Amino acid sequence: MSEMVKNQSYARIRNVFFFGLVVLLSFSCRKKGCMDENATNYDADAEVADNATCTYEPFEKTQMLTNICDNYIIPAYTNFNEKNIALSNSVSGFSSNPTTDAFESLKESWKEALLSWQQVCFLDFGPAAFVILNNQLNLHPVDTDVINNNISLGVYNLEQADNNDAKGYQALDYLLHQPGMTSEDHVTYFTTNANAMTYLTDVIDNINYWSNYILSEWTGSYQESFKSNSSSESNAQGSSISNLVNGLCYHYESIIRKGKVGLPLGAFNGFSQQEMPDLVECYYHQESLPFIVESINAVNKYINGASYNTGENGLGLDDYMNYVGATQNSNSLSSVINNQIDEIIEKVGQLNDPLSNEIVVNKPAVTEAYSALQQLVPYLKVDMTSALGVMITYQDNDGD
Amino acid sequence: MMEIKRWLHKLTFSEKSIAPLIVFRILFGIMMFFSTLRFILKGWVYDLYIEPTYFFSYLGFDWVKPFDLYGTSLLFGLLLLSTIFIALGLFYRISAIVFFICFTYIELIDKTNYLNHYYFISLIAFLLMFLPANKECSLDAYFGFTAKQKKVQAWTINILKFQMGVVYVFAGISKINYAWLFEAQPLRNWLKHQTDLPIIGELMQYEFTAYLFSWGGALFDLFIVFVLINNRFRVYGYALVILFHGLTAAMFPIGVFPYVMIVSTLIFFSPNFHENIIAWIQRRIVNKSQNTSKSEIKTPVKNKRVTGALLGIYIFIQLLLPVRYLAYPGDLFWTEQGYRFSWRVMLIEKAGYAQFFIHHPENGMKKRIDNKEYLTPQQEKMMSTQPDMILQFAHHLRDEYSDTLIIEPNGAKIKIKEPKVTAEVYVSLFNKGSRLFIDPKVNLSKIDRGFHHKDWILRNEK
Repeated sequence: MSEMVKNQSYARIRNVFFFGLVVLLSFSCRKKGCMDENATNYDADAEVADNATCTYEPFEKTQMLTNICDNYIIPAYTNFNEKNIALSNSVSGFSSNPTTDAFESLKESWKEALLSWQQVCFLDFGPAAFVILNNQLNLHPVDTDVINNNISLGVYNLEQADNNDAKGYQALDYLLHQPGMTSEDHVTYFTTNANAMTYLTDVIDNINYWSNYILSEWTGSYQESFKSNSSSESNAQGSSISNLVNGLCYHYESIIRKGKVGLPLGAFNGFSQQEMPDLVECYYHQESLPFIVESINAVNKYINGASYNTGENGLGLDDYMNYVGATQNSNSLSSVINNQIDEIIEKVGQLNDPLSNEIVVNKPAVTEAYSALQQLVPYLKVDMTSALGVMITYQDNDGD
Repeated sequence: MMEIKRWLHKLTFSEKSIAPLIVFRILFGIMMFFSTLRFILKGWVYDLYIEPTYFFSYLGFDWVKPFDLYGTSLLFGLLLLSTIFIALGLFYRISAIVFFICFTYIELIDKTNYLNHYYFISLIAFLLMFLPANKECSLDAYFGFTAKQKKVQAWTINILKFQMGVVYVFAGISKINYAWLFEAQPLRNWLKHQTDLPIIGELMQYEFTAYLFSWGGALFDLFIVFVLINNRFRVYGYALVILFHGLTAAMFPIGVFPYVMIVSTLIFFSPNFHENIIAWIQRRIVNKSQNTSKSEIKTPVKNKRVTGALLGIYIFIQLLLPVRYLAYPGDLFWTEQGYRFSWRVMLIEKAGYAQFFIHHPENGMKKRIDNKEYLTPQQEKMMSTQPDMILQFAHHLRDEYSDTLIIEPNGAKIKIKEPKVTAEVYVSLFNKGSRLFIDPKVNLSKIDRGFHHKDWILRNEK
């Protein structure tokens, strides 16, 4: 190599070096720092984002699970069980003293119990999923023929799956609000038809059996495994967070969105999208909206980790989403979900009961409410699950 | 030029100890035995191949169909049996062929189940069919079904090393992208869920850890093969292999893959190392072989040419497949055109939601499809983010509804010749929020399957 070429390359190396130094200096003049607001070392004065230096509080998954379990799930199931015991007491009161007043109070107890079910229905995992609690308690539409047949035969087994659509709250909906009958008519019906009275009591006993089952499962062994089972493998299949999120997504999509509104609206009814008003929940009671609203409000509380009794905000899925910095179109995902829930409440609030009638006479408004419900599905199923590292799958599998 | 030629010739045809190949065969057989057994015991045969009513076949392999319960069980039984035979080296050639065919057939049934490490196993099985891995320490040699051999041509071992190299190096290259290096995605999202991991959990709260793992992973993949080739650094390299794959096994649900790699990389160790293993095995098992070992291999010149050419073709294909994505416009992670068979492992975090519609032939009515009626949750999940699967499912719906007369609950009769099928798909990549994935107006039933660019995929608006 000649001397000249050598010198030239030295010069080049020097130039590159100086250039690099200048670049470095010019950057270091502007204040570098962590510019993520969720970080513990968030630097408000920083001008240049150097987010590799960000430090975050470790997210205490077990604390979140403990909060959700102790402050929402157990109190909600306790309340649910109490409401069912009250229902049971009402029916004994009614059967021993069948007056119109006793009948009215029975209906009131039924409504209270069904509202309390809306607050726990989406805990669709673990012991609830194991027995498909929703089918045991609140399958609709009911088959009135089977109900009437059971009553007239006086022989039936409510534990058999083919009686699932002849028991639960929706069977009571029919029995307590039979079309064209006044309260007096109902009292007469139950006092003159011993089988009907027995059936009424048996259905309520069956509900109590299940509410007792679910509460004792949760206050018993399941509680501990739920709180602790959030181990490694990124919230994989079988971990509590995966169970909780999958249960919520499944129940919201299939039972709340589709079952309560989509199906009766006709959104799933072929091409014609012909309304199917008799598919609404509480068709005979002619009042469905309070139950929808109750379930959505409860989902809202549950996602935000709020206390069941006081409503006080605790560590919940929303905090977890914030912790991982989940966004949706540059807004924080938790706020997007909360806003969407507000919108659902607003749209459902514009509807009038009976929903079965509203679907026919005011279809556009119901469709709007349905769209709002629909929009929450991808937020939960796509955005939330992927943010929380939950595999949306109901079966175990390898990934890569 | 001559030097390169001589070097290649040496890499291909010089004589080498057969030991690494023998150990590889035995370990591969044992490993496949356990991984097949695990697959069966987990009930996946039923979940993945019996329960679904529809299967996402690969383009050109539509003829690969699952059998009924008995046929599929037989297939897995045969697969399991062949792994034992491979490990024992009994009827080796036939066993290797049976293993390759069964394994690959199973993988081709449904692309829902595509995993890079399954593809890797298929390729290794393909190579094993041609390798003389039963010429020593095998029942074939013991019974005298095949002549014993102490030496083999170097290519029989080097092609396996090449294959391992391709896996690592391309996995490394695929990590050289903005999201991986400068946003530490997707590890950053994943690690945040790992703060309760024993010992290292503490580290996961620091953003720095995600960068460390991303850069570390990329460097590891890029250079590990070169470390393993080197005699001096091999042991350290192998320690890294164990550390790296051990970590991934602890952190992610990736099944047997880490163990497959930990075991397979042993091929890089010296012939001495492997000969010791074989001697160890032989000391424990009585081995009185009738036939004497031949240490010579004579291959005619003509055969060398054919071998060289075939190796060349194989290598060329292996180098070409992972870069075929360059032929497509758009963001690879978003469109996934040319994504599979390219050693892109744990590179993206993607989730989706797809709603399909069948349109009424005359008026604007459309019918919502409930995916669950046709697909398992796993299939639905995979389909929702991958355009070729979205198209396949749309075609399946088209075929289901073609030439049908539908009587609606309200009595309306609808005659459909060939339905228009559209889909509203929302996808979120790297947790940046779900957005519309494909053109919701495009009639998917009219779009052909194929390797051409899918221009109906919307752009990933940043």
